[in-house]
Amino acid sequence: MECKKIEELLSAYIEGELDAAARQEVGQHLDACSQCKELKETMEGLLQSFPELEEEVPFYLKNRLHYIPESQDLEEDKHSYIKWAVAVVGTFILFLNLFYFTNIYPPANRTLHGIASNVGTFVVETGAFFEKIKESKDIFFYSFFNKDSEKNNNNSTIGTKIESNGGKNG
Amino acid sequence: MMVDRYSKSVYNIALNFAGNSDDASDITQDIFLKVYNNIEKFHEDGNFKSWLLRLAKNHCIDYWRKNKINKSRVELDDNIHTMAEDIGQKTPEDTIIQKHDAYFLREKLKILPPELRLLIILRDIQGKSYQEIADEFQIPLGTTKSRINRARAKLAKIILSEGKKNGM
Repeated sequence: MECKKIEELLSAYIEGELDAAARQEVGQHLDACSQCKELKETMEGLLQSFPELEEEVPFYLKNRLHYIPESQDLEEDKHSYIKWAVAVVGTFILFLNLFYFTNIYPPANRTLHGIASNVGTFVVETGAFFEKIKESKDIFFYSFFNKDSEKNNNNSTIGTKIESNGGKNG
Repeated sequence: MMVDRYSKSVYNIALNFAGNSDDASDITQDIFLKVYNNIEKFHEDGNFKSWLLRLAKNHCIDYWRKNKINKSRVELDDNIHTMAEDIGQKTPEDTIIQKHDAYFLREKLKILPPELRLLIILRDIQGKSYQEIADEFQIPLGTTKSRINRARAKLAKIILSEGKKNGM
């Protein structure tokens, strides 16, 4: 048998899976060929050493694995952008406060105060505008509904007047 | 619990595939995350362990593709030397030899193509039967046996050639 063929049968030979004839043939070749014998011995050595490669799971990894939430990870992934948005907005507000309440960068401080006063004015003006709308709405509804009631009142007073006049005349 | 039951098996596949505990820890964690996120895809009548191992196997190959765990031979030899010195300061001699051997073997395993590496891990390190592995890889039994033999022979040749190079 050629060395190549022997090499293909080495695992089966080591694990005792060859039939008697093939086993004898491989055995004879190994006695005669030092290269194949060396290869077979190295393979046997490997097979003995391999089980030693098994290790226990490190405790830190086991802890990490225990703490993986079973179903929430995908949800977290989906909503992770919200966390980032909150973080960005929070940082932005923090910097606004820093520049507004301290004078570490005067131009920013001036600009922010300018913006704040503009916003204040805008809020006051908007409030006044809405107040006016509300007032005019009240006046409109008041006049609209009171017209009818005034008419009714007028009619009813006219009716009573007629009735009272008729009674007097009769 | 799932972690107590399967973490050792998954970790050892990852460890012997990647060759170091840092990468192995990352791979194991990713595999468990995948398991939790895809648990609804597992059919209850199926075998959970083989589903998990298939997931682990696929993840290892993906990880290898993305990160190309293999490093150059020169770098490996340097690492082996450094690690032997590091261990030497901390552990008894027997452990040094054992750990050094394990490190050496894992580095040699990394030279094998990923699929052959996984076959060796499942058969020779985790002691699975040829039939289980054939089912796992969805290849015929004969092909499984011949591939495992090829992987062993390849590894033995690498070790022999290195031994000769180092004059052992």
